[in-house]
Amino acid sequence: MSAPTATGGARTAGRRGRWRLPAVLVLLAAASVCALSLGTPYVPVHRLPAALADGDTTLAGVVVGELRVPRLVLALLAGACLGAAGLVLQEALRNPLAVPEMLGVSSGAALGVAAPLVLAVSVPAAAQPLLAIGGAALGGGLTLLAAGLGRSPSAVLLTGAAVAAALQAALLVLMVMADQLDLQIVYRYLLGSLSARTWDDVTGLWPWLLVAVPALVLCAPVLSVLRLGDEDAEALGVRARRARFAALAIAVVLIAPVTAVCGPVAWVGFLAPHLARRIDPRAGAVRWLPWSAAWGAVVVAVADLPARLALAPVETPAGAWTALLGVPAGVALLRSGNRRPGRRRRGGAGAAPGPGTDPRPVPPEQVRTEQARAEEVR
Amino acid sequence: MNRRFAALVALVVVCAGAGLVAGRGMSPSALWDVVGGGGSLTERHILFQLRLPRLLVALGAGACLGVAGLVLQSALRNPLAGPEVTGVTPGAVLGAVTATGLGFAGWESPLAVVVAACLGGCAGAALLWLLAGRSAGDPAQTAVHGVLVSAVLGGLTAMVLLVAPGQLGSVVQWLVGTTEGRVWQHWHLLWPWALAWTAAAWLLAGPLTLLRCGDDIATAAGLATGRARRLALLCAVALTAGAVAAVGALGFVGLLVPHLALAVFGADLRRSLPGAALIGAVVVCGADAAAQLATRLLAAAPDGGALTLPVGALTTCVGAVLLLVVVRRAPDRTF
Repeated sequence: MSAPTATGGARTAGRRGRWRLPAVLVLLAAASVCALSLGTPYVPVHRLPAALADGDTTLAGVVVGELRVPRLVLALLAGACLGAAGLVLQEALRNPLAVPEMLGVSSGAALGVAAPLVLAVSVPAAAQPLLAIGGAALGGGLTLLAAGLGRSPSAVLLTGAAVAAALQAALLVLMVMADQLDLQIVYRYLLGSLSARTWDDVTGLWPWLLVAVPALVLCAPVLSVLRLGDEDAEALGVRARRARFAALAIAVVLIAPVTAVCGPVAWVGFLAPHLARRIDPRAGAVRWLPWSAAWGAVVVAVADLPARLALAPVETPAGAWTALLGVPAGVALLRSGNRRPGRRRRGGAGAAPGPGTDPRPVPPEQVRTEQARAEEVR
Repeated sequence: MNRRFAALVALVVVCAGAGLVAGRGMSPSALWDVVGGGGSLTERHILFQLRLPRLLVALGAGACLGVAGLVLQSALRNPLAGPEVTGVTPGAVLGAVTATGLGFAGWESPLAVVVAACLGGCAGAALLWLLAGRSAGDPAQTAVHGVLVSAVLGGLTAMVLLVAPGQLGSVVQWLVGTTEGRVWQHWHLLWPWALAWTAAAWLLAGPLTLLRCGDDIATAAGLATGRARRLALLCAVALTAGAVAAVGALGFVGLLVPHLALAVFGADLRRSLPGAALIGAVVVCGADAAAQLATRLLAAAPDGGALTLPVGALTTCVGAVLLLVVVRRAPDRTF
């Protein structure tokens, strides 16, 4: 199906491409400028380059260069990783609700952060991110192993839910034991926050990205085949189980370091792929992947603004804002996708917002996938 | 069938006995003394003012959750629709946390917590209702939206806890689910509510059995499916809210107990509804006894004294393991 949809996607892209690239870029630029200039002290836009050039000689230079720029870069990187990982998960598991939280990765990382804090084990500062990454890898690996290395999409999702719940229970035991101060630190981390992150945190992400990005590029074409369902994918020469396992492993590698640094910023991996699909419903996974990453970056960068400024002296976690604002937006996207004529009858459950969210006739194989997806949800 | 009920009742009694014996601070022989009318003042206080209400609250909450889960799963025809999935439990937690965090309720006024949890649970269900809107009759859609509603409510709870961080320590127990420190006041609030709504669920057993067969068959048999489903959902919300206000969000009880009940008593809800209540009571009470026993054993170990195992963590772990077993046994089934 890649050939016909690719041309269809190209045609759509030609028609809509005029506004869609500028739209994302304008949003991104606006969010970046706001992130750099707003706050205390307020640095006017025209003063920004001068402040950056000043370095640490002036107050504005220190604040912008040492605090706001790394935070912005981290937000963009984390958002891009989460968005891309969300798309990989949704495509590989053929489920619009497959979010990073469902793989046990977030819970594992949280456990890695909370355990030394509560049990009062002294850990050298350098080893702390490694503990979080180790926890995340443990959670993700446990899910993949228990699910039989990607046997069937619904098995992976349910196993992920079970593993996440078990890790969550362990975390709750720790939280009951913790005293008030530790509890607040753990809770703040659990919500996903970007406050007080420096260049060290950003540089910690690079090695992981070096591994993940080439793998992502290699695996993207396979994803659009996996969407057809296991039987069709195997008929096209893809070993579906192995491909799904690889895709899930890449998602884990993308999510784990981000979760270790910023905590589980919720629902970005759910919202970004839906926004990406919305822009160009006819394209395949290859085309959606960069858009999903871009939208993820936009979402986190925008959510970080109210997180920093809404209750001004107090920082609120960015993850709470993405959950509060992102989920209704995602639901609106799902619903408006479902409401198009001809969709509800055919999709049956209607709970599966397919990629074919436009009123034009859908190729038969796509209909079949949507039905399979609807059955999975059921 | 009657033999199965008798066996279950016996199991409830055994679990209750275990729950009474398992706790810290009193040996079984001292307990026997107290039951015989002797014992010191402290021991009498421990048994009659602490352990007995705790046991009763655990039994009542378990029964509520079991019935609520079965009613939900039957009404939505969705084997994965527990109260956690339909936004009821997160809503009730949000209500309780908000009331405590903003100072309307506290340890000295448990009634306010119950009311707030009920309001929150109803709000969660109403949010789901708004969201699912026209497609409310469609079970899969309802479940999918329930997951999203739960996420929003979780975010709101987090916001409330950030605004009032001083309350974090005292409300964590609602997030976890624990029977620690429940007294007669909690029981006096729980039982009338639980009894009323369990009776309502019992009256709905017939229509719910029809709903399980599918809307077409139920309509053909003369049932107003929409109204029956709405009443059933209301009933499930009320039962869950009561249980959450009493013990907090106990994971997986409302999801897994109905499956056990259906396996033991069959699909006729007039039998499996009381069965679900009994099984829920057994599960929560047994988990409570096990948690107390584990806490006691841990306290005997060196430097384990600070650890008290909350019953919610235990039920969640057991539920997760059961879920894994189910998934592994039927890997290719689509749920």
